[in-house]
Amino acid sequence: MTSKPQLPQGFLTGVRIVDFSWKTVGPWATRMLTPYGAEVIHIEPPHRPDDHRFEFRPVHGDAAKNQIAFRDAPDSPAYYTTPNFSHLHAGKLAINLNTRHPEGMQLLEKLIATSDGLSENFSGGVLDSWGLGWDRLKEINPKLVYLSLSGYGHKGEWGSYRSYGPSAQASSGLTFSSGLPGKNPAGWGYSYMDVTGGWCGGLGMMMGLLRMKRTGEGVYVDYAVTEAAMAMLGPFFLDYQVNGRATRRPDFPPGNRSIWPEVAPHNTYRCAGIDRQGQDWFVFIACETQQQWESLCQVMGKPELLTDPRFVTMADRRANQDVLDDIISTWTAPRRRYEIMTLLQDAGVISVPIQNAEDRVEYDAQLRAREMYPVIAHPEVGEFEMERYPPRLSRTPADNHGRAPILKEHEEYVFGEILGIDSQEMNRLREGGVI
Amino acid sequence: MQVFDGFTVVELADRRNQFIGKIMAESGARVIQIEPVEGSPGRWIGPFVDDKQDPNKCLDYWWYNTGKESIAVDITRGPGQDLVRSLIAKADVFIESTRPGTLKDYGLDYDTVSVEHPELIYLSFTDMGQDGPWVDFEMNDHAHLALGGPMGSSGYSDPHETPIGGQRNHAYNMSSVMATHTITGALFERLSSDRGQYIDIAIHDVVGISTEAAVPYWLWYNQAALRQTGQHAAVKYRPTTQIMCSDGKLVQVTMPQMPLNAWVQMVKWMEEVGVAEELSDPKWRDDFYRADRLRNGDEIHEGIIRLLSKVTSEEAFHRGQALGMAWAVIRAAEENMDLDHYKQRDYWQPIEHEEIGKTILYPRALHTNDLLGTRPKSRAPHLGEHTSSILKNDLDIDDRTIEAMTKTGVIR
Repeated sequence: MTSKPQLPQGFLTGVRIVDFSWKTVGPWATRMLTPYGAEVIHIEPPHRPDDHRFEFRPVHGDAAKNQIAFRDAPDSPAYYTTPNFSHLHAGKLAINLNTRHPEGMQLLEKLIATSDGLSENFSGGVLDSWGLGWDRLKEINPKLVYLSLSGYGHKGEWGSYRSYGPSAQASSGLTFSSGLPGKNPAGWGYSYMDVTGGWCGGLGMMMGLLRMKRTGEGVYVDYAVTEAAMAMLGPFFLDYQVNGRATRRPDFPPGNRSIWPEVAPHNTYRCAGIDRQGQDWFVFIACETQQQWESLCQVMGKPELLTDPRFVTMADRRANQDVLDDIISTWTAPRRRYEIMTLLQDAGVISVPIQNAEDRVEYDAQLRAREMYPVIAHPEVGEFEMERYPPRLSRTPADNHGRAPILKEHEEYVFGEILGIDSQEMNRLREGGVI
Repeated sequence: MQVFDGFTVVELADRRNQFIGKIMAESGARVIQIEPVEGSPGRWIGPFVDDKQDPNKCLDYWWYNTGKESIAVDITRGPGQDLVRSLIAKADVFIESTRPGTLKDYGLDYDTVSVEHPELIYLSFTDMGQDGPWVDFEMNDHAHLALGGPMGSSGYSDPHETPIGGQRNHAYNMSSVMATHTITGALFERLSSDRGQYIDIAIHDVVGISTEAAVPYWLWYNQAALRQTGQHAAVKYRPTTQIMCSDGKLVQVTMPQMPLNAWVQMVKWMEEVGVAEELSDPKWRDDFYRADRLRNGDEIHEGIIRLLSKVTSEEAFHRGQALGMAWAVIRAAEENMDLDHYKQRDYWQPIEHEEIGKTILYPRALHTNDLLGTRPKSRAPHLGEHTSSILKNDLDIDDRTIEAMTKTGVIR
């Protein structure tokens, strides 16, 4: 076990966060702090490590098998570092702590007293049930920034309700506003509100830290993911109140067309080829200006469209979108998506392929040039590529070489150096099942 | 005290960046938006009040610009550039989304302005960042969802159907959240160092890491996924998680690996409505059997479809939650406005709009928290509403000069 970790220097150097996050939304909120030098201590219960350590791994079998392997041999050399865990907990420290043991709670309170922030995304009432409601937390540490992430927030009649990304998306209107008219909503093919929702939570923590530094006062942020999700749809609420237009209407959602701004063409178009899973390839094309429309016609070799009365103005093109989309599809169908992108971008037209993960890693020249996949080293799995944390700062750059911690990696540092427990006492705590 | 009390943010109006200033304005910052004299591009998006185009009655602009001040300046002209320079001198944060190189031509790039204002935090928030082979790409929000990955994962359980991107400005929104986070951190550090810095954020970079496990799984396993209706893309097609209830509304369900007690309650519920069928058999009370069938069979899934077809979506939601399941009604956005829960949380905030003689309820962006102080305080500004007052009160420019600049079209 290592002692004091080498953390990067950044604008949060010296900030310590107690991190009870799990799943995705909570880990993202605190993972945003580590590239800037914050010391984020991820706490896992003994004998029940973070379940993202066990997620599906094609090479090593499914999660259940991994959990059984851990139960049978918790100190075996099998690693518990999977892609999602590595991504979500990059740069964090790891300890085990039994919060159901009275001595575990004492240690936790001591740790909170030395920290600047506490973050958790448990179900409603968990910290209260530990005797660590906001009133008690304030007593322990009046400067503490406490971020509690939940689907609906803890105040209000749904304060105990559960949620994860897809249900927050469903509840807020995000799912409903993504799809083709007349079909079930397509929704989002990943937990948009676990990722972006986690970022919104992370912003709450950062704002709390700034306020604490300015005032010396702690703050409790009862953050509801569904509320942030609704804020992503703000104009719909205004349109409903001002114009009486609900989003539950026959022509909504409009697929990939644009209702506002009133633009056409604005759609996806099938092109040549399929992906590894047999899914058709598509390119997205939009003309927001007359010049872009004229350029599209020139590139397609169809200058006659410019004088076709169905397409002369933007209003004409919108009124005749079906036939316009057919014409563009006929042109894109035999062509390759990156070729279309290059031809149209060179002519100043919005045109991009719908990229999947493989495309972004293998073929996206921009992300490659921006070094979005740095190689990092890990003692259990060797070197691997990871997604870079995007912001670039001139004076206090974000560090992108933090790796996820192995199990209990920072026990000696946290309990020894931070809490001042000697090795004899630490052994007693281990034997007693406290750590 | 609100988080950003006392800080001044100056932003060059743009569709991409306006959410950043809104978040900061709602938490106490003074945000001055510098618009072109013909109005911010954000004023021409729509929808409009009564669907009549009017730069002061654009609802998209209203949403993204609550609590800001507007000064209309032609920054392509020298006198306009001087005004921007003077405003930057008063700012803690400057936000711009121009094409890389534009502001250098005006002497308003970071290297130039930071000489006199080393304490300035200067954010360039652009489609592709400041460098790279695609830096000049023409993009919009939907193009970012396409190129950056969200659409690659989202759509229908049909390999020939189009990928789908969500409506409204999700790429700009999510990138703005990360940008505001970064600015807030830079302000945090500046309290100690008294020094600002330059921040380069590319929307494409941010959207590119937003798709959860998609990229990590490709990097580790070369694993490609299938888009699926209303749920996560995955290697194989999975049973639907959108289930129709008796009232014709859909509920988003999880397939529960539930503890015994909750399972017993679930079966009791199925029996109440007469759809339990084989799930009443005691063998289903065995945790391992149930877990195995959940992975390898469809009996539980089919049982839940039968159950929800007999109950309303609201009953499914509340009773499902009582069993510990994160089920949710798939609601249209506006249907949330009637729910008591958000009213109890004081989520909707009234803003007076004298243009239409009406008070409109706005969602808070993004946190319902009075200590952070996030709440929309006032309506979005009209075009150039604060031009005169800012020039007079902040820059000490006299009436005659203001009149001359107005006549020559430098300001509005």
